[in-house]
Amino acid sequence: MTELAIEGVRLSRRFGGFTALDAVDIGVKRGEIRGLIGPNGAGKSTLIDVLSGRAVNWDGSVRLNGEDVSRLTPQERRKRGMARSFQRTNIFPDLTVEQQLRIASWAVEEAEIDEVMSEFGLVALAGVPAGEISYGDQRRLDLALALVGRPSVLLLDEPAAGLTMEESLGLARTLRDLVTRWNVTVLLVEHDMQVVFSICDRISVLHLGRSLSEGTCAEVRANPTVIAAYLGTEA
Amino acid sequence: MFIQILNGIVYGGLLYLLAVGLVLIFGLREVVNFAHGALFMLGAYIGFAVSAAGYWWGGLVVSMVAMAIVGCALDATVFRTLRKQDHIVTVLVTFGLMLILETVVTAIWGKAYLRYPVPPLLAGTVDIFGEPFPVYRLFVIAVAVAIALSLTAWLRFTRIGLYVRAASTDPRITSIQGINVDSLSLIVVGLGTALAGLSGVVAGPLLSLSPTMGNYILIDSFIVVVIGGLGSFAGAFIAALLIGQIHNFGAVYLPWAATILPFLLMVGILIWRPTGFAGSRT
Amino acid sequence: MNPTAQGTLAPSRPRTANKALVVLLIGAAALVAGFVLPWIGFAKITLSLLAQALFDALLATSVGFLFLQNGRVSFGQAAFFGLGGYAFGILVARNLAGPELALLLALAIPTLAAFLLGLVVARVTGVAHAMLTLAVGQAFYEVAFRWRELAMGDDGMSFTLPSKFFGFSASRLQDPGVMVVLAWSILVLVLVSLTLFTRSRTGQIAAAIRDNEERARFIGYSTTVPPALVYAIAAFVAAIAGVLQAVYNGYIAPQMFHWSLSGFALIMSIIGGAKFVIGPAVGAVVLFYIKDVAGQFAEYWPAIVGGILVVVTLTMPQGIIGLAVKQWRRRQRR
Repeated sequence: MTELAIEGVRLSRRFGGFTALDAVDIGVKRGEIRGLIGPNGAGKSTLIDVLSGRAVNWDGSVRLNGEDVSRLTPQERRKRGMARSFQRTNIFPDLTVEQQLRIASWAVEEAEIDEVMSEFGLVALAGVPAGEISYGDQRRLDLALALVGRPSVLLLDEPAAGLTMEESLGLARTLRDLVTRWNVTVLLVEHDMQVVFSICDRISVLHLGRSLSEGTCAEVRANPTVIAAYLGTEA
Repeated sequence: MFIQILNGIVYGGLLYLLAVGLVLIFGLREVVNFAHGALFMLGAYIGFAVSAAGYWWGGLVVSMVAMAIVGCALDATVFRTLRKQDHIVTVLVTFGLMLILETVVTAIWGKAYLRYPVPPLLAGTVDIFGEPFPVYRLFVIAVAVAIALSLTAWLRFTRIGLYVRAASTDPRITSIQGINVDSLSLIVVGLGTALAGLSGVVAGPLLSLSPTMGNYILIDSFIVVVIGGLGSFAGAFIAALLIGQIHNFGAVYLPWAATILPFLLMVGILIWRPTGFAGSRT
Repeated sequence: MNPTAQGTLAPSRPRTANKALVVLLIGAAALVAGFVLPWIGFAKITLSLLAQALFDALLATSVGFLFLQNGRVSFGQAAFFGLGGYAFGILVARNLAGPELALLLALAIPTLAAFLLGLVVARVTGVAHAMLTLAVGQAFYEVAFRWRELAMGDDGMSFTLPSKFFGFSASRLQDPGVMVVLAWSILVLVLVSLTLFTRSRTGQIAAAIRDNEERARFIGYSTTVPPALVYAIAAFVAAIAGVLQAVYNGYIAPQMFHWSLSGFALIMSIIGGAKFVIGPAVGAVVLFYIKDVAGQFAEYWPAIVGGILVVVTLTMPQGIIGLAVKQWRRRQRR
């Protein structure tokens, strides 16, 4: 039996003549935190969209805990344990923080909402409509919405986008704590290399819609093709 | 049979004149003008008042100018002020204006039906395949075709037309390119309401005048706009012709179902494609 | 709910139970107050107008609830009002059903129709939704207007109530004093139930879908059924109003479907404040009062309503209740 929690096989997606994803294979082991990096336009967000069921017109297959979910809608995938966050903040502006977390956590205990709220520092904002809280808090809420309900697989599309360095690292720590405690498998797209290297077990590199490399942080950092394609001086 | 088709085109032409005005306004302001039918009605009454003094063509011109002014005022006072609000707020305001205009017209001209004369130049009939057909109806078709052609040319070949098309596809584009949306929309909204005035006058001799005459045709032109796809000029043209034909053939062959056929068509199309035939926006 | 699990982390939680209790208590008080209405010396004609205002309030509540829960503006809610009234009137007039069964069907048919329509119509948003519902509502009007065999078409149809209705003398339902109390009680019950619904899990899910449909799908919800359910509930309320009016007047006519009725109900809900369950009913009562005061200008009534609508949307888009809540919050803060 496979140990992979989430697996994409030969995933391709084209927009007109442009190939956003070109037969990409990816597999993340249960409990692993996998970073997904690559320059702009490498296909990272597209890959998340295909895995989570947001994309239309793509080829290949997606497996969640060994089950083929390629044809399932986002809500069916969520019911089977897959959750995601969004690059552009995607919350419920008119509902209060607590209201939306409670809805997001169908099938879980009340106590878990409190735990997530306190981990993400949202307790004081419980009764405030989400449209009125600060951007940083909205980013944390976006992530919290994906995390309540204890998904088995979490797909994160730049959760720290637009946050300060300090906020990003704080978010990364919280994330690491929670997913380790709850044994959540994570696929993380992130521009901030410090965040990626600080919490990921392994890293996949995408370039121009293809998989370029995969390995531990150290291996990726040392890989000459990756350096050439992407990391450059940052490594 | 051919006469039936022509009659369908006459009604389709009137619908097109109204619907294209709605599309123009929607393109720039993302608002559906619920007062459009009331402007159609007001235009007809103003034309009626002038033509009663013996100037039929004067009535046509005065009505169009008056409605253009009303449109510019509407844009400057309502649409511009409310552009940052939810669009439905603007729709509600136009709905309130509709109620006010209907009451004002009732107060001035009364509720009774009024007969709008046909201009002497266009009186009489011509024979088409051996059947008499009113010249005036041919005139209505000619007006609709002329407007459709000149509007297409305007949209295609002029600078302003290009902006209008761009704005109708995506209202953000024009604001990025630094075009003055406010003065552009003043022109476009004025044009849209002038067309409502034009179609009111032109429709006058075909329908009788009453303060509620705009309601029925407004709903039909809504159906046209929704079926054609909000913001699509070509879609509105095709849908207007289609609804015109359905309206007419229904009235002749399926009288019991005639009035609900367009509704059923609209619901059917929206189930199939929620954005309409040619639309990409909702 | 387990009280120990709440802890100190969520101080707002114990309050929610209290709030529901407050809603129930206010509702109970309002219910009792209703029985006083016929005894405070209103003229019979005023009571009759008040009954009509209460039917309007129910219809406005239906329109407002759709906006509140689904974020959709409907210009065609009179369709379900008319459908309820027509179903009841026709079933009773033709002896197709006893009044009890007729009532049941008159409420069930519009509710079911709205649920099915809602599965489709909810996909359309914003201004297009307003146009679509207007057209759908007018389609019903056209049928009632043209189809003479159904219920006399344009002329409308009178019918006599059977002598007994749930064991009570049915003719008493046409007494303004009785109808005012009945309609008031129903309105109160409807408002309380809708308030409780908005606080329920299903209500919150519908609100979440209204706020952000995409995210709702990604947190695991079907985004077609909850909105359709809201359409059904709203239609149920409109149908109650339609049946009450049909019973009270013993008469049904195509105007019950007309879009101007939908439009006026929408205006009432905007004036009162469509973001609050109680707002539309308040708007209906306020308009009723203004109409009473403006009696001699009755022929300009549509323009007066239109003017009020324009002023309210421009100056206080949250409506009367919205303004009151704002003032109250401001005072509390001081």
